[in-house]
Amino acid sequence: MNQTDDADQELARRLDRALHELPLRHAPPTLESRVFGELARRVALPWWRQSFACWPGYARTLFFAICVALNGMVFAGGAWIVAGAGSMPAWHQASAVAAAAAALSGSMVRAIPPAWFYEGAAVAAVLYALLFALGATAYRTLWVDLRELP
Amino acid sequence: MRAYQDMVFTTAARLLGNDAQAEDIAQEVFLRAYAHFGQLRNSPTSGGWLKTVATNLALNHLQRYRRRWRLFSEISSGDDARDPEPPAQDSPLAELGAQQQQALLEDAIRTLPADQRTALVLYHFEELTYQEISGRLGASLAKIKTDIRRARMALLPLLQSRIER
Repeated sequence: MNQTDDADQELARRLDRALHELPLRHAPPTLESRVFGELARRVALPWWRQSFACWPGYARTLFFAICVALNGMVFAGGAWIVAGAGSMPAWHQASAVAAAAAALSGSMVRAIPPAWFYEGAAVAAVLYALLFALGATAYRTLWVDLRELP
Repeated sequence: MRAYQDMVFTTAARLLGNDAQAEDIAQEVFLRAYAHFGQLRNSPTSGGWLKTVATNLALNHLQRYRRRWRLFSEISSGDDARDPEPPAQDSPLAELGAQQQQALLEDAIRTLPADQRTALVLYHFEELTYQEISGRLGASLAKIKTDIRRARMALLPLLQSRIER
């Protein structure tokens, strides 16, 4: 065990020395032009297409004011709908339909034997495991190619 | 920019193993540097700042695309990723010049499996500890140690040829 550790440490030292002797790689000659091109493109963008931090002060203030106003309108509209819906006939009909659906589903659940639930859960678990195994197999089959992806 | 572009590109390229992506990362690094130009212009630590940003962006890039595969990767690493075969003794590498050997070593790093390459580069070039690498990559300490060991074993033939010279 000690010999293995010593060999590993020796390999690490040798590799460390060799790697630190490696010269820097040359950046592609296109890098500089790409950077300056992108900078020029960003500078040429109108202010509303730049990041929010670059917007003029008046535009940011106006944006905040519009957001606050929209929020207020949404809350006020929601409150108005809830308050007004109680007096509408359609609201009562919808409530009655929902209550009937809840009662029907409740009675159906009570009518199903409990064993069916356990069997359903077991089938779901088996299907999940099967799907997981398929995914793992696909990954392991394709991994040789995928490992070179970023 | 010219003073640092090789360093930034090299940092990203060694982590990513892909020159085109490394160029994208290097571009983003310099765009961010431009946004902080006032602070970096006369700073003695601007090189370190650029290297840190390049490392972080490269790792983010790797993690963004690999997260979905991590679970299966951990599962398959148990039995699939065997230690590499011992190097051939009759390797012609010893006959190559130093520059060619360095190019081969650089190429060998690039072709390592991504998990091994990333861990190796962070350990040997960025000089992070095993624990720090484990935290940065979100992988177990045992996996990081195994990945680094396997990467070293994969590069061993190139080291032997250097010693033979």
